[in-house]
Amino acid sequence: MQLLELTEVSKLYGFGDATTVAVDSVTLTVEKGEFIAIMGPSGSGKSTLMNIIGLLDKPTHGDYQFNGRNVARLRPNRRAKIRRDRLGFIFQSFNLLHRLNVLENVALPLSYKGMLQARRLTKAGDVLEQVGLADREFFMPKQLSGGQAQRVAIARALVNNPEIIIADEPTGNLDSAASRVVMELLSDLHKMGHTILMVTHNPELTRYAGRVLFMHDGEIIADEKTQVGEVPELARRFYYMPKQTQEDDLAGVSALMDAIPQKEEEKSKKKASKTKNMKYKRKSKKKKEA
Amino acid sequence: MLLGGYIKLARASMRSSRWRSLLTMLGIIIGIVSVVTTVSIGEGVKQQIVNQISQRGEDLITVLPGRPLERTGASYLNSFNPVSSQTAIVFGDADYRLVASVPGASVAPFGHVAGEVKTRESSYDKAQVIATSADLPDVLNQELEFGSFFSDSDTSSANGAIIGRTVAEQLFGQNVPLGQDFTIRDTRFIVRGIFEEFSDTSPLLPMNNYDNAIFIPYTLGQELMGGNLQVYQMLVKPSVPEDTADVIASIEATLKKSRGNQQDFSVLRQSDNLSLAEDVLDLLTSLIAGVAAISLLVGGIGIMNIMLVSVTERTQEIGIRKAVGATNRQILYQFMTEAAVLSLAGGVFGILFSLLTNFLLRITTDLQPVITLDVILIASGVSFAVGIIFGVAPAAIAARKDPIESLRYE
Repeated sequence: MQLLELTEVSKLYGFGDATTVAVDSVTLTVEKGEFIAIMGPSGSGKSTLMNIIGLLDKPTHGDYQFNGRNVARLRPNRRAKIRRDRLGFIFQSFNLLHRLNVLENVALPLSYKGMLQARRLTKAGDVLEQVGLADREFFMPKQLSGGQAQRVAIARALVNNPEIIIADEPTGNLDSAASRVVMELLSDLHKMGHTILMVTHNPELTRYAGRVLFMHDGEIIADEKTQVGEVPELARRFYYMPKQTQEDDLAGVSALMDAIPQKEEEKSKKKASKTKNMKYKRKSKKKKEA
Repeated sequence: MLLGGYIKLARASMRSSRWRSLLTMLGIIIGIVSVVTTVSIGEGVKQQIVNQISQRGEDLITVLPGRPLERTGASYLNSFNPVSSQTAIVFGDADYRLVASVPGASVAPFGHVAGEVKTRESSYDKAQVIATSADLPDVLNQELEFGSFFSDSDTSSANGAIIGRTVAEQLFGQNVPLGQDFTIRDTRFIVRGIFEEFSDTSPLLPMNNYDNAIFIPYTLGQELMGGNLQVYQMLVKPSVPEDTADVIASIEATLKKSRGNQQDFSVLRQSDNLSLAEDVLDLLTSLIAGVAAISLLVGGIGIMNIMLVSVTERTQEIGIRKAVGATNRQILYQFMTEAAVLSLAGGVFGILFSLLTNFLLRITTDLQPVITLDVILIASGVSFAVGIIFGVAPAAIAARKDPIESLRYE
């Protein structure tokens, strides 16, 4: 069953000469029960796409159907309600509220639903048990290790029984052992039927996903279905690069600047020469010290 | 989320920065204490005056020279003319005789005798010396503790004087100085009676403090002042309370006739006195309370300031809350509740401190401030309102924050 459908979605920042295209006409459908990993270099628009899918941001152009309903132009309050009832977020920096204890943190989305305290704490306790942290209920976030904190965040994302879980580099702040636990947990959730969308830098982690998207300059340049446990071909191609670069000479910034057509050549040349001189001076100083 | 949830959040946030919350509250506390204390002092004085009036009886009539009060209709006072009391002529002997001639009423004149009171050892210049008639205890409805009041028949023969409690203690240094003597303007007087303590002395009206007064016979007063005794007021008590209106009418008619139909005097009921005192006190109280309310305003600005800081500090928290589904309105309510709880707590502490101030004033001064339930309710309401009013702007800023930027904020 189709859960999400994005059609020609773009996101622009700024206007006039300073316009930046963060997401460029992306068309994407997500089926229920998929585990999708999105990869790509920094600034490729992964996070912006995630924010649009997670209804934290509005697309500038294009259509977005969530569960058969057009949500691209919803008002902030309607979007907040969909986030509350149908979405779960997991962030790189855990984003737990440090003044609330673990149980209250997990119950947070329910409190905005107007659920009574006793009921929401019971429910939060159940979910915490699922992520294996039943004995940490009354700890404060500061007293947890990174891996535990991220599992609490996963519990918080699960507590409202969301239709899709959106994870933005969930293992970015964790060591490899903790990363493994978190990824296995996500994998288990996937097996239980949850739909998961994950942004990651780490090609290793794409093993857990059933579908991998590659983004570059705001576009999806590849969309590859893989078997769970298999590293996708593109990842291998991107990350296991040859020893030698294609370009035989590193030209330097000034050469790049020359390549760009310039309006005020005089000025920029002066500046460029100045900075060059400064660089040289610094280098020579270092040499002398050495 | 329910209101209880917001209040819990507000309390948690206040607890997490105790000192800051306390200092912010201090503004409101000071404001509430100053307003409540001023109002309670005003209220206390008012109640003392009401007590005085009820103790002396509703039917007591005050005759004053000049027209300090302008009157429209039967007894409704619409203005107070402070200049008239300064420029007024005073009553003389003839006026007293005229008022005394009105049937069915006892009259006590208040003749002002200027002069220092001396005993052989000491002198005392703080007492008022009042020349009056034998009707005074009856008119004032006041008993003597020791001795007896002079009667009209012996006023010329014996130089007997009746003194108040304060004079007994200050001038003679003893409780019952009966038979002791003192001189006023070289005339010797003997203490023949001491009044019971007047229950209704008001610190703001020293002229009415009869505990610190010496009463001498009217005719002697005349002699001391060379036949030129000035009567600054006359108190009249009708023998039958129902006749009050008639007595007032005949006093007015008699006095007016003697002055060529010019009414340059006032005949007042107790209710007139009461409403005059209430008008003046209400005006004074509201003026001072208004000045005190400025500190409440400053306290409110303090709350707004600290809430703005708090909103900036908690940008990430706002982002997280929005990401998990808090609507703008829910964020607005959260921060408004926090401001209101902060301010209301300040109000409650302010009321508690006012009660303490009240108690200290009662034991250290003559004031009898009264905090009524109205004042407490209004003070709580005002402090709550201050929180809401000054909390709206910071809360609105919090509610309008962009979730993505807030999440990234460190």
